[in-house]
Amino acid sequence: MNEPMERIRLRNFMDSSEGWGREQGRKVYPALLDLVETRPGAMIFKVSLEGVKRIDISFASETIVELARRYRGKKGFCFIDLVDPDMAENWDAAAARKAQPLVSWDHGKARTLGVSPSQGTLGAFEFALKRPRTRAAEFAAATKDMSIANASTKFKQLWEQGFLLRRDDVAESGGVEYSYYRIG
Amino acid sequence: MDCTIHLPPRWVNAETLEGALCSAGHGPHGATTTAFVFPGGCKIMIDAAVRLLSLCNQLDASTGRVRLDFEEGESGVMGYLNRMGFFDELSPNAEVSPARPTISGAEVHGGSNPGLVEIANINHKARDQALPGRLTDAVVLACGRRRDVDELGGAAFTVFAELIDNVFSHSQTPLDGYAALQVYPKGDSLQVAVSDSGLGIMQTLRPALKTEYPSLAGLSDTALLVEVFRQGLSRHGADRGCGLQGSAAKAIKFRADLDVRLPGTRVALKPGKGGYATAHCQDNLPLVWGTHICFTFRLD
Repeated sequence: MNEPMERIRLRNFMDSSEGWGREQGRKVYPALLDLVETRPGAMIFKVSLEGVKRIDISFASETIVELARRYRGKKGFCFIDLVDPDMAENWDAAAARKAQPLVSWDHGKARTLGVSPSQGTLGAFEFALKRPRTRAAEFAAATKDMSIANASTKFKQLWEQGFLLRRDDVAESGGVEYSYYRIG
Repeated sequence: MDCTIHLPPRWVNAETLEGALCSAGHGPHGATTTAFVFPGGCKIMIDAAVRLLSLCNQLDASTGRVRLDFEEGESGVMGYLNRMGFFDELSPNAEVSPARPTISGAEVHGGSNPGLVEIANINHKARDQALPGRLTDAVVLACGRRRDVDELGGAAFTVFAELIDNVFSHSQTPLDGYAALQVYPKGDSLQVAVSDSGLGIMQTLRPALKTEYPSLAGLSDTALLVEVFRQGLSRHGADRGCGLQGSAAKAIKFRADLDVRLPGTRVALKPGKGGYATAHCQDNLPLVWGTHICFTFRLD
């Protein structure tokens, strides 16, 4: 079952097609926040940049990057149509400054902006990206010499750093088991 | 006490302007009257023009008299400055010889030369939200035949947006700032200049160094400036300060030189491995308030 997703068209929150500076970003941010707060059931927000002609790093920092940082671990934000390489660089720079990963999807392929997973968690992250939801036991079963405990540690790290989301689930044994979700 | 600054009878860029300021002995700040003399054959590049404008208005604001003498009248460099809108932004108290132009060249021709963008005013009281985009559109228009025009436009927007936003956010002065650009086809270059008359990067950054970046507190102004552009520093802490760093990252793709004038220092940076590195540095320069930044993009 897919987790509820909502779509954000960033241009709808901007006065013009160009996003410039912290001041403009800080005017847009409350409206974005309001949208998220009025969608309490949504876990993942897909951000469309349709109609956004240009943004600078400061605007990026104050809008989607700050939103992602605020909800890190609880809700996730990803781009679905980021095709302009120059704009991607600016989102990347802003996200890197705040150590906030942001995933950008392009025809089913994911690219991480801002921060990359460490070498030790990269395999787990790539495994998680291939499916909407996964569990530590699934990764452990699919990976040579990987214990469930080790897999669980890796996924937990990715969740804490903002690469994945997490929900409590009931394990077959009846206890609590975490499900990890890619963002997008 | 009077100060007379003679500009040379040839192209004047930021470096040449500095030479002229130094040759005048004591700097213009503190003088009763400052005269800038433009001889025949003098031509001025946009980086020098924007700094000169800021300086003239600073001197006027500190109650000094300012006079600009154009020996060739409107047929020389005065005509170019008029075309740029220099006199539209120059304090009305400044005296212009032989006479201030009666018609603004910028108003008449504004926007018609894709290689030149008239001096844009950065007014703290009325923020022009379209300014970075308008300057960028001019770059795209001027360089429309280039295959990398989209990339160049993207880089220009980031540079303009971040530099001008800094003027609003950090300069802490009621005096206007200025932005302008010029494409120099023969030189295969594009100059992007932003100038303000505020406190200067160091004066706004240094008070925060001990708490935010203690390991950098002992650096000289020049070394600290390199770090500002290399790793990004901000008086607001580690999750800010990406504006100048981001601008530098864009400009380096076009092998842009970077020239920064601060109240007593001028630093010329050239792109190298890992970012910008100091190519040339001058200290103990005549006082010019503010931060004056120019990127010169290579278009060849």
